[in-house]
Amino acid sequence: MGAAMAAPTHLGNLSSLGWLLPEILLGLAVVAIFLLDLVVEEKERLGDVALGVMAIAIVLITRLLWAGDRSLFENSVVVDGFGLYFKLLVGLAAFGAIWMSLGSREVRRTNQGEYWGILLASALGMMFMGSATNLLMAYLSLEFVSLTSYVLAGYKQGSRRAGEASLKYLIYGGVASGAMIYGMSWIYGLAGSLDFHAIHDALAGSPSGASLALFVALLLTLAGLGYKVAAFPFHAWAPDVYEGAPIPISGFLAVGSKAAGFALLIRFFFTALAHDGGAGAYQLVGGVSWDQLMLALSVLTMTFGNLAALNQQSNLKRLLAYSSIAHAGYVLMGLVVLTTDGLRAMLFYLAVYYVMNLGAFLVVMLVANSTGREDLDGFRGLAWRGGAWPAAAMAVFLFSLTGLPPLAGFVGKFYLFAAVVERKMYFLALAGVVNSVLSLFYYAKVVRTMFLEQPTGGEGAVTVDVHNGILLGVLVAATLVLGVAWSPLMDFADRSARFFLG
Amino acid sequence: MEIGLNHYLVVGLLVFLAGVFTVLTRRNAIGVLMGVELVLNSANINYIAFSRFGTGGLEGQIFSIFVIMLAAAEAAIGLAIVLGIYRKFQTIDVEEVDSLRG
Amino acid sequence: MIYAALFYAIALFTVAGAFGVAFSENVVYSAFSLMATLLGAAGLYVFLGADFLAAVQLLVYVGGILVLTLFAIMLTHQISDVEVSNRAVGRWPALGLVGFVGIAMATALVRAPWKVSGEVVAKAAGEGTTYGIGDAFLGPFLLPFELASIVLLTALVGAIVLSRKEIRD
Repeated sequence: MGAAMAAPTHLGNLSSLGWLLPEILLGLAVVAIFLLDLVVEEKERLGDVALGVMAIAIVLITRLLWAGDRSLFENSVVVDGFGLYFKLLVGLAAFGAIWMSLGSREVRRTNQGEYWGILLASALGMMFMGSATNLLMAYLSLEFVSLTSYVLAGYKQGSRRAGEASLKYLIYGGVASGAMIYGMSWIYGLAGSLDFHAIHDALAGSPSGASLALFVALLLTLAGLGYKVAAFPFHAWAPDVYEGAPIPISGFLAVGSKAAGFALLIRFFFTALAHDGGAGAYQLVGGVSWDQLMLALSVLTMTFGNLAALNQQSNLKRLLAYSSIAHAGYVLMGLVVLTTDGLRAMLFYLAVYYVMNLGAFLVVMLVANSTGREDLDGFRGLAWRGGAWPAAAMAVFLFSLTGLPPLAGFVGKFYLFAAVVERKMYFLALAGVVNSVLSLFYYAKVVRTMFLEQPTGGEGAVTVDVHNGILLGVLVAATLVLGVAWSPLMDFADRSARFFLG
Repeated sequence: MEIGLNHYLVVGLLVFLAGVFTVLTRRNAIGVLMGVELVLNSANINYIAFSRFGTGGLEGQIFSIFVIMLAAAEAAIGLAIVLGIYRKFQTIDVEEVDSLRG
Repeated sequence: MIYAALFYAIALFTVAGAFGVAFSENVVYSAFSLMATLLGAAGLYVFLGADFLAAVQLLVYVGGILVLTLFAIMLTHQISDVEVSNRAVGRWPALGLVGFVGIAMATALVRAPWKVSGEVVAKAAGEGTTYGIGDAFLGPFLLPFELASIVLLTALVGAIVLSRKEIRD
């Protein structure tokens, strides 16, 4: 330990505590909610507690933004710009999910206090995914998020679909994480260490014979990470799970879990497998050309997601699930180019994606709250039966997801495509554009159903209460504002596109 | 021939392949989960072998303790889900409930 | 010589158990084959000087996870199959795929320049690894150790939530 140094950047166990206040708060809150559940009769009060705790945690994370970078707990996790960005994003996703849950009829009906504790625990795990710097913390936090997600996905009472979705999630998750730790064991064997940095250094100086073993190991590791972000060969759980889970949880998994998965994937790629080669371009180590593989993965993911969404006509949650697979493909474009530009474009896009996708899930929830329906027919003529405001909001979110100007999604995609074109990867850019056009068809179909079709009378009226209305207003405003005044967020993403390398 | 690192890694690989085969061919959920347990054990054999012969010290053994712990947690949740589905089979007509609710 | 023979016996036991899980038609036989693999792995851990791990393997895996698995099989056999993965591959294609992957991985494994050190971490005879592991948990691995306690608590509560809710109805 560098006790002699003026400001040590590698902290031991005790001195790390102050830097981990948001996580410590969340951990204590989880335990407190489980205990309070025994005495509190009205479980929604626990939801209020969770909301308050999450708000405080977000404030605590914000305070760390100006405190400088540190490596904590003997190199287990780091506090750096990149990690804090994702902690904020995950914190906001959890805040939104808790807010939605408080206004959700599905969740209110279950009336269970543990729900809020498990939701907070899931957010805690996601925060660790964004800051883990060794394989052990990466695996532990990823599995933590998985375990809590299985429980949350199966939360709907008396629904066989929910149980099956949860089981399917667990089985896919078990297989993916099993493959991942087998791959990690080879990485450990090749590098002789679990630490991302030590892995990088070992791979950079490794003899050429390592490349085949490294290729196998990373392919297996990618299975676990690809599963978390729902990328192409590991996506099959997503539609069933999103459909079976309560809507706020579907939204939380779509924005929070995906962001956390990307955080881990990006940090692993950029710090363990590559290093900054100067001029904003990263160079891979270990003699394996990952960019080609990631390119294929990206194109396949977005194409598959969009084609499946085109074929999916009935359930809105399934539609959004396929669309979220497609969006994982778009974000992966930023990983393919391996530049600082690509990195900040990914950060920016994930934040924008959070706003517009959570908004879309919120509108689905509003309709389900009033009518109990999640299918496309339940949206017929939504604008003409009291739901003009949510219908307009949904149109904004869906057009933003498509990437139409002047909405936030357009700016996000613009930066991603710009990063790709800068590296002269025209095929990838073309695939992205074609896919965006493709996605317009199914998004526009929903908008047409809401506005151009007349209600047949059996759908029931849709009303918006104040609680959900506030969140809806905020998300719509954010989608619109980020479409024209994106530079503050972009500056923040730019500032956060750095890793603490010790 | 002296028993070295590769001997253990080959045992790990064989167990891993058996696990993958199980996962691919089983249709029964519990069967698939047993395949997953095989994969987890194969990884553990690797970790402990690397811990013994490699330069990482006890790290490998500690990793495998976490693998065992998380496998137990996963098995508990998996059984709870299976139990839940089983209960629903017996107590309620699921199709009816499903179409009525939102 | 005896050492090598013993190793091969245990390795054979482990691998045979794994193949039993893979090829057995009956899921109960699979579960008992799994027990062979788990016991064999514990034996290998002893060979590798990981005495604490061998004990944990016996207590948690054989004593806990395997019993849970058997419990689940017994409970659900009435509903024949909880089929979730309808994409199950046929045996021969799966065998071909696994064989191909296996050959590729074996090639990689033999050629790979594993980081091997001359000295041995902890002697099998002697003080054992328990002291070192306990020390590491309260030292460099304190954070994962503490996080693991929250993970286990949440998993426990989650499992109870998932399995209890129908009782109330």
